[in-house]
Formats: sequence, structure tokens, C-alpha cells
Amino acid sequence: MILFFLALLVLIFGSFVFQLFLPPVLLVHGAVILFVPAVYFYGCLCLPFSLTLALTFFTGMLNDLLTIPQLRSHSDFPAGISILIYLVPGLVMHGLKPLFLRHRWETHCLLAEIGAILTPFILLAQYAMLSFERREILLSDVIVWRIVGPGLISLLIAPCVFFILTPLSHALGYRPGLPLAR
Amino acid sequence: MAALMKGITIASLGAFGIFGVLFLLLPQQTKHQLQGVLFQLVSPILRTGASVQEGLGGVRGGLKRMDELERENQKLRFDNEQLRASNSLLKNLESEVNRLNRALGFREQSAFKLLPAHILSRESATWWNFCTIDRGSKNGIATDMAVVTEDGVFGKITTVAKDVAVVLLISDESLRVSVAIEGTQEQGIVSGTRASSNYVPDLKIRFLSKTANLKPGMKVLTAGSGGVFPSGLVVGTIKDFLVKELEGVASVTPAVDLASVQDVFVVVGQK
Repeated sequence: MILFFLALLVLIFGSFVFQLFLPPVLLVHGAVILFVPAVYFYGCLCLPFSLTLALTFFTGMLNDLLTIPQLRSHSDFPAGISILIYLVPGLVMHGLKPLFLRHRWETHCLLAEIGAILTPFILLAQYAMLSFERREILLSDVIVWRIVGPGLISLLIAPCVFFILTPLSHALGYRPGLPLAR
Repeated sequence: MAALMKGITIASLGAFGIFGVLFLLLPQQTKHQLQGVLFQLVSPILRTGASVQEGLGGVRGGLKRMDELERENQKLRFDNEQLRASNSLLKNLESEVNRLNRALGFREQSAFKLLPAHILSRESATWWNFCTIDRGSKNGIATDMAVVTEDGVFGKITTVAKDVAVVLLISDESLRVSVAIEGTQEQGIVSGTRASSNYVPDLKIRFLSKTANLKPGMKVLTAGSGGVFPSGLVVGTIKDFLVKELEGVASVTPAVDLASVQDVFVVVGQK
């Protein structure tokens, strides 16, 4: 389990760095491609509660330090907020763990899509926080697409990520809900 | 066993709460330094990724040229095709040399000490526009230094690691620059909007007078107040001007193509 947890940490870190090189999808009004939520949600589904919290802390911290410019004097999105933002959908996914433990590919697919639907929540919460700090709420079709678009892209990405991570967890000897492979 | 699990759950919740609050309450200066450390940690990956990306671009370009040549010259012999391919490669080199010459000319003519830098990655964060360059504190870069190109203002340095630095782009909503409109007495503050990106930049000048007579195509220059950007640098050109209830607001087309620029200059001082 610890091996797989460490592998997830490395994968999340790698996904953040990989995302730095991905251009936004102009067809979807500049929505970005996000791999991190899919990996994170998989971790929430298969890890025990304590490790889910550790994963949330790691993901939120990296998100704020790698994807948000932290100015020296003041930041309108203080680092650490994303830990709380990731916690909410992470706990929702963790609540669906019994479904995940059935180990059926169709439920895994369904859970991946639920994760994809929860992805815009992260962006919406960031936007709400930013609007609160900048004391101005702007709404335009571009902003709606920037929130919803990554979720739509994740509908395609998340099942692939889930189907890659399942054999990886098995390879590392972690089968949640089942006796550990010898 | 159940009591042990309950104990672990409560302990992990407590630890999460304590570490979460501690991290949130860290001084902004410490978080800024942490970001620098993290970017230093990933700088080898960024450099490798950037060179791989450039390499892939080259391979793609090369294949395309070969395809075009094959379509156009199906009847030509193989050595002839090779010559044409190398000729097209030379043309690419020539445009590269021209681009670098323009940059060198700008550097020599400029009144400022300029440090050339190469863009490693353009972060595609949803609400922030920034990029990473291949120069850091060991090259004399510090936070709040202006970053420009031969065409105009590009952004400013926010985080500095030893080998890399993070540049907040002019298209970001949180970067505000005082500007003046060429040929008028008008001054205002330019910034990006939340829907702005490198690919579809959307800049607005606020706090202009309602009576300002601004026409499309007028040049927008930095005013020099604020201490980051020297005065007289080109920001862009006026796209349109709207009179609102309390102020005049102008849309600006940035002078720099933020999505495709590869080399920038950091203003490290005056000559």
C-alpha cells in the first residue's frame, strides 16, 4: 500500500510538471488539460482515509506552489487554499470507495466519469476564491468554458488514467479490499 | 481493531488539520521562497522538457517538409530531394539567424542592461498567465524585474530560483502597469482580464478620463511610475475605447505575441 501511495505521489508530481508543457485547448476557449485530478481521485478511491488526507495535502500544496504565481508581498490566492479545495471532492470520491472495491471495470469507468464531473468544482472554487479576493465577479462564456471545459476533457482522460493505475496498483502488490498479494 | 482504526482516523484528521492550518498561516515570504525551491527542484525537468519539445517540433517540421517535397517533386531523383530538403533547412536557419539578429540589435540599442533568456515552459493554468525562463538568481535575476522583447513589454519576474525564474505575463489580471497613451496626456492602468490567456490575450486600460479621445491604433507606452517598468516601453495598441459610468476603459492589443515568443530579455539595470 505504501509503495502504491508513493507511486501516486510521484505520479501527481509528474502530472503537474507534465501539465506545464501542455497548451490549452483553443477549441474549448482555452480550457486546460488536467491529469492531476484523475490521479488524485483514483488515490481517494483506493487508499484508506488517513492516506487520502495525506494525498490531499500533497496535491493541494503542489497545486498552489507549481501552478499559481506566489508574489513576495501579497498573493490573491494564498498557497494552501487548494488543500481545502481538493479536500471536498476528494472526500466525495472517498465516500464512493465501496463501489470501487467491487473491482468491476464498469463501476471503475463510472467512478472515473464522476471524478471528471467533479473536476470543474476545483476550478469553480478557485474562481470563487479569486473573485472574492479581487472583489469583482465576472461571468462570460469564456470563463464558463474555462471551468466546464477541463471537466469535459477529463471525461475522456479519467477512464484511461483509471485503467492505467489499476494494473499499476496490482503490480505494486496493492489490491484494496482484497488480501495483499504475496 | 475497530478502536485502533478509529484512533488512526482521528489522529490523521488532527494531523491534517494542524499541517493544513500551519501551511496556510505561513508568511507569504516563506511561501514565495518555497515556490523558488520547488521550481529549482523541477528546473532540470523543465530544461529537458523544453529541449525535447523543441526537438519534437523540429522532427515534425522536417517530416512536413519532406511530405511537401514528395508531393511537389514525385518525379525527381532521391539526391535532388535531399538537396531540396537541405535547402529548406537552410531557409529555416536563415529565419532563425534573422530573428536572433533582430534580438541582438534590440539588445545593443537599448538604454537598459538586458539579459537574454529562453522560455522553458508556458504554464497553462486556468486563471493565471505565467511562464518559466532559463535564467535565475545565479545570473543576477531578482524579483520584480521587468521582462521585455524587441516588440515590447512581456511581463515581470515573480519567483526566482537558482537556475530558473517565473515570469508573470502582461496578460495576467494581477499584473498592473501604469501606462500613457502616445500623443495624449492620458494615463491609466493596464492589466489582463480573468478570461485572458497567452493565446487570446485581453488587456484593458482602466482609470482613463471619460473625455479621452482615443483612436484605434494609438500606441500604449509604459509611464514609468511603479518602479518595475522603465518609461517608454511599448505595451500595445488601442483596439477600442468605451466610456463607462466613472471612467474610460480601453481595450489593448498587446505588442508581443505572448503565445509564440521564444526569447525574452530581463531588464537587469541601466547602461
